[in-house]
Amino acid sequence: MIKKKKTPEATIPTSSMADIAFLLLIFFLVATVIDVDSGIGMTLPEFIEDIETVEVPKDRMAAILINETGDVLLDGQPISLFQITATLKPRIQSKIDLPKNKKLIVSLKTDRRTVYNAYIQALDQVKEAFFEVRDEYSNSKFGTKFNDLDETSQNEVKEAVPIIISIAEPEKIK
Amino acid sequence: MKFEKKRSSTKQEIPTASMPDIIFMLLLFFMVTTTLREVEVLVNYSLPEAKAIEKIENRRLISYIWVGKDGKIQINDSLVKMEEIQGIMYTKRQALPNVIVSLRIDKNTDMGYVTDIQQELRKAFCLRINYSANVKI
Repeated sequence: MIKKKKTPEATIPTSSMADIAFLLLIFFLVATVIDVDSGIGMTLPEFIEDIETVEVPKDRMAAILINETGDVLLDGQPISLFQITATLKPRIQSKIDLPKNKKLIVSLKTDRRTVYNAYIQALDQVKEAFFEVRDEYSNSKFGTKFNDLDETSQNEVKEAVPIIISIAEPEKIK
Repeated sequence: MKFEKKRSSTKQEIPTASMPDIIFMLLLFFMVTTTLREVEVLVNYSLPEAKAIEKIENRRLISYIWVGKDGKIQINDSLVKMEEIQGIMYTKRQALPNVIVSLRIDKNTDMGYVTDIQQELRKAFCLRINYSANVKI
């Protein structure tokens, strides 16, 4: 009797598969740019040719002025940039229970020569003040932070603490 | 009496058969999250830092404007002049009505210059903007 030749097992060698996959993995790891687009969101006012000026009661306004050397003036009082949050917070809080048209307006005005960085720092401080008030309000009312709320309660907090920031046009230097 | 060390009879090997599967899973994750950069940035800029930062939820709505250290403005792939912003952004807005303009402006730019750009954006009705900033630690 003739012995049948043993046929070798027909398998694809998979031992190098892990290496190949690793190589691809490393390529994508290196090529990945997880760049999250983050920043300070704002909404510009519409462009209207002739602007109507409306008088706003003084206690509703918080006017921030930044000059070209980066000095900050809040309602005529010179303060440091990092005090803006602490100064604005009680003023926002005092207006939580007031109706919609009586909430605090923060006006931010710069010089034409002011450095952009100073403006962003000030805007950051203002936003921070609003966010902290929102967090505290939702904490006292719902027991969680603003970001963890569901949409309807979030809107309720937004209603109570709206972020109103007005960017005033800088004055021309003569 | 002979003492013998007790040894377990099981094989002392890490099973590597499922390794490719695990690696492929990781690979797929990175392939899905990767966004290859579409535009080449031609201007040199460094962003300001801020704390109260929000993330933009919808990447597809974003349109970028770069402003470099030397005051060059870039939209899409090319450098543009101040007067051209309005036209370009207006066509962009018509294609995508709720476009968010992400302003990537160098931190040492004058505010007057930034305001001029904002004025152009207002004329083009691109009102949702975002001052791009890095997270301050």
